[in-house]
Amino acid sequence: MKGQGLVWILSAGLAVGAVKPSLPEWSAADKTALEKGELVPGLLLLGQDAPAEETAAPAQAQVPQPTPEELVEKEKASTEVPEQYLEAYFGERPTSFLVDPQGLLSTKDERDRESFLKYHAGDSHVDLYVYLFDGHQSIPSEVREEEIVERFFSEGKPAVAVYYYLGAPQKSDIYVSPQLSDSVSAVEQRRALISSVEEALEKPDALAQFEAFCVQLSIRIYWMERAAGLVTEEVAATPLPRRTKSQEPAVKETPEMVARAKEWGLHYGPSAGIIVGAILTVAGGIAFARSRARYRFPVFEVAPRMGGAHAAGIGAVISFGSTTQSPSSQRNDVPDYLGL
Amino acid sequence: MKCPRCVQVIHRGASLCPHCGFGIAEMDARHGGDNVSLRRLADVAGLMRSRERGKVQSALDGFCRRFPQMFFAVYTGSAQGGGNLRQFGFWLLNRAAFEDVPVDRPNEAGILLVIDPESKSATLTWGYHLDPFLTEEDTFVCLSRAHAYFLEGRFAEGTVVLVEQLGKILRKRAAQARRDPERFERKVAAPPRTGEIARRIREGHRQSPVKTTEVIP
Repeated sequence: MKGQGLVWILSAGLAVGAVKPSLPEWSAADKTALEKGELVPGLLLLGQDAPAEETAAPAQAQVPQPTPEELVEKEKASTEVPEQYLEAYFGERPTSFLVDPQGLLSTKDERDRESFLKYHAGDSHVDLYVYLFDGHQSIPSEVREEEIVERFFSEGKPAVAVYYYLGAPQKSDIYVSPQLSDSVSAVEQRRALISSVEEALEKPDALAQFEAFCVQLSIRIYWMERAAGLVTEEVAATPLPRRTKSQEPAVKETPEMVARAKEWGLHYGPSAGIIVGAILTVAGGIAFARSRARYRFPVFEVAPRMGGAHAAGIGAVISFGSTTQSPSSQRNDVPDYLGL
Repeated sequence: MKCPRCVQVIHRGASLCPHCGFGIAEMDARHGGDNVSLRRLADVAGLMRSRERGKVQSALDGFCRRFPQMFFAVYTGSAQGGGNLRQFGFWLLNRAAFEDVPVDRPNEAGILLVIDPESKSATLTWGYHLDPFLTEEDTFVCLSRAHAYFLEGRFAEGTVVLVEQLGKILRKRAAQARRDPERFERKVAAPPRTGEIARRIREGHRQSPVKTTEVIP
């Protein structure tokens, strides 16, 4: 009984599910038009333009268009150095030679560049400060670079400040401290910058460019030093390696063996020289005498053999036809023929 | 002293080889009995370049300077008439008339190196004056020195090396001959005749007195 009931419920459910929705019916007007050929089914879907309500949508947006000035301002704001870094860049005289508050370089690269600039500062009378920006960045117009250099670098050691754009060395700019500006002309500064930029542009990547730029500028600063009268010819003529070389002998002690040899040379040098000379002379004389020597043999009467009037001395025969046949293997070779 | 054909030892003054009957007449029949005009360096086979020939020539000149009684000659070519290379060397040194050798240096004082490019072999032959001072072993040592060069086709270099080596050996022999010439003379002296041996034996007998023993009856 229970099973029959379940079958009945299932079959009833299937019957209800099998009921289809009623098909659409033609209206009388449409049917007439269809029969006349005026109405094509589906034409509305294929050929009709977008619904009127969609085309009407833009008309609803009433947001005002940005003006060109606003667009320029916006673009400018996106390329400018962010305001939060301006204080770190231009707020005070930099404490390190590499100014990179944005952290554009990795720690290692920053350390390397900084150490190079420190080395330069130790070796030169003119410091080199590098303000590092990203290649696409620009310094805000309210920042006056020249004025900043004047303000921060007018006192103390003369300095050269460079605004370097990582990956775009051609955008770089150079400024010198007031102590140098009188002696180093703007043309000379420009030339130094161009030379450094050219050097940098020969490198394939941004870091190598920056390194090459710093090295070349450091070299050019040496010429600026000379132009400013900070380097005398005497100093220029005695570079670091030579100074250390001249100091070395004073520190280095002569080894005992060398000292003894020198002493021995002083005592016995002349006599040893004479002996060696005499030996060489004798050896040369012997060699010369040997080359001039003539060797004579006693002549004995020898009875002719085998009818030969002059000679019958039969020497060895050696074959050189094969590399496997060594001379020693041919020592006792006897011909197996009689030459007949 | 050996026969150039059978390489057997022959006695001094043998007119023909007692083993094989070889004599120069046999070679004359093959190559001709007339003298052959040659220079000391006769590169008939064309094994040396002209520049190399200059080096060899200067080595030959040096040999002549050091040994004023002798000369060294080089012949490159094959013995086309037949016979082995020893026989050909023997014949050539007997029949050659060297144009560039002074008359006071006869062929008896000559040493001839023959290099045969066809059979790829080389030999040395010398005149009677050198009989006491040179041995087959000496020539073997000289040829062994040149072997490596000949093997590579560097005949000029090999020849120069050979001449230098022979010069060393002869210098040594010259010094020995100065000290003890009899030693070398004995090598070529004529063998004592049979009657001479008998005489020596008789003399020996005479020298030893015959002991007489008394017989007591």
